[in-house]
Amino acid sequence: MSSALTLSVNGQNRTVVVEPFDTLVDVLRDRLHLTGTKKGCGVGDCGVCTVLLDGRPVNACLVLAADVADQEIKTIEGVADGSELTAIQKAFVNEGGVQCGFCTPGMVLSATALLEENPQPSTNDIKDALAGNLCRCTGYSGIMRAVSRCDNYQTNGVCAKKVHALPKQRDAGSDYRPSSKAGTSVGVPMPRVDAADKVTGRAIYTDDITLPNMVYGKILGSPIANGRVLSIDTAKAAALPGVLAVITGKDVPDTQYGVSPARYDEYVLAKDRVRHVGDEVAAVAAIDERTAEMALELIEVEYEELPCVLDPYEAAAEGAPQIHDRYERNINTHVEQSFGDVQGGFAESYHVREETFTGNHIYQSPLEPHASIATWDHDGTLVLYSSTQTPHYVQYMMAHVLHIPLGKIRVIRPTVGGGFGGKAETTPLDLCAALLSQQLGRPVKMVYSREDMFHHGRGRHKQHMKFKLGVDRDGMIRSFESEIYLDGGAYSSFGVATAYYAGSVLPTLYRFPNYSYDGYRMMTNKPAAGAMRGHGVPQPRFAFECLLSMVADDLGIDPVEIRRINAMTPNAMTVNEMDVGSCEFLRTLEAVSEKASWDTKYNKLPKGKGIGIGCGGFVSGAGYCIYRGQVQLSHEKGREPFQKKSIFPHANAIVKISEDGMAAVLMIGAAEIGQGSDTVLTQMCAESLGIPASRMRIRSEDTDISPLDLGAYSSRVTLMAGHAVSRAGVAVFDKLRPYAAKLLDCDESLVEAHDGIMFARGAEARSIAWEEVARQYFNDHGPLVGTGAYKPPDGLGGNYKGSTVGTSPAYSFGSAVCEVSVDLETGKVKIDQFTDYHDCGTPINPLAVHGQVEGAVVMGASETVLEDVQFDDKGRILNPNLHGYLMMTIKDAPDIFSGLVDSYEPRGPFGAKEIGEGSTLPVLGAVAHAIANATGVWIKDLPITPEKILNALKEKKPAKVSAATQH
Amino acid sequence: MYLPAAELHQTTTLSEASALLQRYGPSARLLAGGTDLLVDLKAKRVEADHIISINRIEGLKGLVFDDTTLRIGALTTITALDESAVVRERFSPILDATQCMAVRQVRNLATVGGNLASAVPCADLPPILIALNASVALWSDTGERLLPLNEFFIGPRRTARSESEILSGVVVPEGSPGFGAAYIRFGLREGNAIAVAAAAAGVQLATDGTIDDARLVLGAVSPIPKIATAASQILIGAKPTPELFTDAAHRAAEESDPISDVRGTATFRRELVSVLAARAITKACQRAQETTR
Repeated sequence: MSSALTLSVNGQNRTVVVEPFDTLVDVLRDRLHLTGTKKGCGVGDCGVCTVLLDGRPVNACLVLAADVADQEIKTIEGVADGSELTAIQKAFVNEGGVQCGFCTPGMVLSATALLEENPQPSTNDIKDALAGNLCRCTGYSGIMRAVSRCDNYQTNGVCAKKVHALPKQRDAGSDYRPSSKAGTSVGVPMPRVDAADKVTGRAIYTDDITLPNMVYGKILGSPIANGRVLSIDTAKAAALPGVLAVITGKDVPDTQYGVSPARYDEYVLAKDRVRHVGDEVAAVAAIDERTAEMALELIEVEYEELPCVLDPYEAAAEGAPQIHDRYERNINTHVEQSFGDVQGGFAESYHVREETFTGNHIYQSPLEPHASIATWDHDGTLVLYSSTQTPHYVQYMMAHVLHIPLGKIRVIRPTVGGGFGGKAETTPLDLCAALLSQQLGRPVKMVYSREDMFHHGRGRHKQHMKFKLGVDRDGMIRSFESEIYLDGGAYSSFGVATAYYAGSVLPTLYRFPNYSYDGYRMMTNKPAAGAMRGHGVPQPRFAFECLLSMVADDLGIDPVEIRRINAMTPNAMTVNEMDVGSCEFLRTLEAVSEKASWDTKYNKLPKGKGIGIGCGGFVSGAGYCIYRGQVQLSHEKGREPFQKKSIFPHANAIVKISEDGMAAVLMIGAAEIGQGSDTVLTQMCAESLGIPASRMRIRSEDTDISPLDLGAYSSRVTLMAGHAVSRAGVAVFDKLRPYAAKLLDCDESLVEAHDGIMFARGAEARSIAWEEVARQYFNDHGPLVGTGAYKPPDGLGGNYKGSTVGTSPAYSFGSAVCEVSVDLETGKVKIDQFTDYHDCGTPINPLAVHGQVEGAVVMGASETVLEDVQFDDKGRILNPNLHGYLMMTIKDAPDIFSGLVDSYEPRGPFGAKEIGEGSTLPVLGAVAHAIANATGVWIKDLPITPEKILNALKEKKPAKVSAATQH
Repeated sequence: MYLPAAELHQTTTLSEASALLQRYGPSARLLAGGTDLLVDLKAKRVEADHIISINRIEGLKGLVFDDTTLRIGALTTITALDESAVVRERFSPILDATQCMAVRQVRNLATVGGNLASAVPCADLPPILIALNASVALWSDTGERLLPLNEFFIGPRRTARSESEILSGVVVPEGSPGFGAAYIRFGLREGNAIAVAAAAAGVQLATDGTIDDARLVLGAVSPIPKIATAASQILIGAKPTPELFTDAAHRAAEESDPISDVRGTATFRRELVSVLAARAITKACQRAQETTR
């Protein structure tokens, strides 16, 4: 029974009507519109709903609102004093404590409570205080810096609006020095443009938006892994008061969708078949989310259960259940590539070693659950708010399924709380919300629960890898053979590309004279696997790095040395015809081994302590678009022959200067998902305009405002969107040149702009304000606008099947050293220290670069030792939550040193390359090697759990005994 | 994730809460910290039409020490227990459990009574409190009875509390000189982990250093917190040595009755017991020796 309740929130009494079963988080968000308190799991596992209750942090999802009427509640909105940030908020902004921002309100509140009680906390105090707040982006490094250096921000306020002023002496794990090429905006460790909004709870995520007359939807998933849908009875659900619509497979288009055009194989809702637990069967819309949830339980579905297959090898076997008619023997994609003479290479090798490795099921687990809101304008335009990292592909796929032109779809991407590849495709939420909204004529919001997210899937493919490596006496690689079975789950998703990536990026790091790859992406009755940070490459990279270190040990060569002699060199063409430009891999190796004191530690540490090395690199953006041909409804396109060039620009930008010349608005569709793209794009555009970054605003959230950008995937944004925004800036600058030349009385070619001042090169004493020139232009011509576009270079890739996957304008390189302690009695691993050096070209924003590395180290280490989605023999997920699927907390995260080597990539804007995805790649192998070094046993099966370590140690012991008795 | 509909009853006295419990029977649940109950309700592990909040009942919060025994009110939060001066000075082995439990946000809500009354097999307080010979106070309108904590648990999520009773507190006797206790648990990660296996030990040393009495309690490896009787017997009357501890710990592993789940197989849990039990006994003996000095 509902009742009026007075709560004391942020010092004010607020009277609200609540139901007895309303939790505090829902009352704060839905009744009081304090959306800075986030929802992430609902059961106290993640900490994003942290609020202070009488000064102490609690999870607002575990508190009944009606039970705390007599206590003082503080939310993130009550932390700052007006527009003046508190010291800890400033510290989070300036020390890189913020990325996607979804954990930030909770983090800031936990830190606030700690500092209130203990103004000089030790490292352990901080870790204990923040252990209940998960972060998936920062690796906790920036957060540790923020809390431990909070004191530095106590005095002379940095106001919320003036966060750009940052002292340049930032030394946190960075040895970066701006090169002579760096300007006023580029190469500067500028705090994120959205950081102040994120530390105050003002950043608006999709689930924070409420539209007038909005209703709520939910999707019913299949309880069985494989079966036919015989009948669905929705009558009881439809009759539940508050339920407005129920749709099933018969109400959705007959068009299939997916990611790779050759393999569209999903229906919005099951037509007659379900292929994994959670496969979407029906959707409801209701007046509130709770009613929608209740309605799902009233939908009666009759299934004919079929045997399921959960293992990729079993799926390939004769007589295995066939998951899709079109994929014979459940082979979704088969890759067969061979370069050089692989068998000949083995024949001439001095040493050949063959090993099998197994990966794990990794789920991105961004802290923000996927969310969508759909609404239709009266002119038939679909407006879709979506928590996506690829607004354009969502637009493209919505057009395809709904049979309406792209131009009639407006995608708005509010603040996104992390993606890591898991938000790179059109979701059933996007599609069902659109269909329900169309039917009801009302906005429909749909949000995944944490459990839904696991069932939606699209995590990393679990890969089963059989690798064979041949080297000569010195350790030079002669030949490498790879066979991989990828566990694809029930649908294609990104899997065609994944299967190719699993082979194509390995040869960019070491010189392979001969190489073959046999890849099988198999269908199984699990949620579809998709693209995750490092797309397809991290597990093969882990396996290869382990194998290389094993071979080094076999030959008595130092693991660093074997990498050194095989390292890729600049301006090289790989055996599979990937065009490597800048490459400072060797320097990363040298720097990391020196910094980590490799020579004094490797094989010289006490028992239970270990050190290991891993290397890796990645593409700086995919060379080709996911779909072929031009931007056009895909049904209208005939089958188009592949052309070895980009048909249209992959990144496009517009810069509009305000009429007084004092502001520049950058419009680009590149998706800010927490990685910092809004910030680095702002910096590059400001640099090319010649104005301070503080005069810029970026609008990247709306396809009605910004031109097409393919989005945040394949680590493409810095390079590709960076070019587009820089060119747009140059286009504006070129329009100003004649005006400036006239005012400065110089030749047009001599005009330069710097930090808001224009002058003639060689005559710097005389200058004119940038805005003055801009006003003159506006007076004569009207709007001052510049556009920029970027196409990857033509002709990337070889002439063989699949040659496009792995192509890129540039490649990154990195080396990491990991140090661990292992409890040899329990098998427990503590990852103590990481040292990483990267070649990301010339960094645009070192603070953001180190943030990506630190985040990747923790995510990679976490997936090496902790994470695994587990299934029972019926295909049900055993741990679809954040207390069963374990990610590292701040207490588990290692200390990280992130360093950069000097590098310049001619194909990148300002010499820059990628960092976001490539930084994951060295991590897994480094951890595995360090554990092997500490324990004397290699675990080739991820994740490396204490149980596997103990078992391996046990197996090793008797072997030693029997060897001894033979003597 | 929403809570199913239920009626919330705010109570201010134990008799009021007890009367409601009797009126609604199995369809009622007591709400204290809520960190177990709300999760269970959302996950539909338990059902309740009536939620009886006891959070406003006076006298159930806080700790009282009367020179021989400590009484911990059922509504005392884990944080309050952890911060209590008397616990830090005289019952410090309890800190072994409070400091590894969950995280701040949960410890600020979760109560001592809830951690016991939920009777979750992997709960952290029961093993150490049993090792400390604690009893629970069960209140009913006919009075309060004390029940040794090791008799309180009768199955996973099942206790000897009758339908009309409310767990009102825990009573812990202070150990005499020569007594020491310790709790050690294994979780898969450092922060916010659930115990995969745990062991608590309480030992009483004689003046000559032999073990007069010992109680080894295992957590998360059997349906209820389990006293490893045979292992404890091995210790009693013997001189504390690493070999003895290892023997006892191996015996304890045999006595455990673990399950296999996402956190580890039964075999792995048994192995953990053989390590953790030895470490707990070692630490308990060290502490006992410190108190004799």
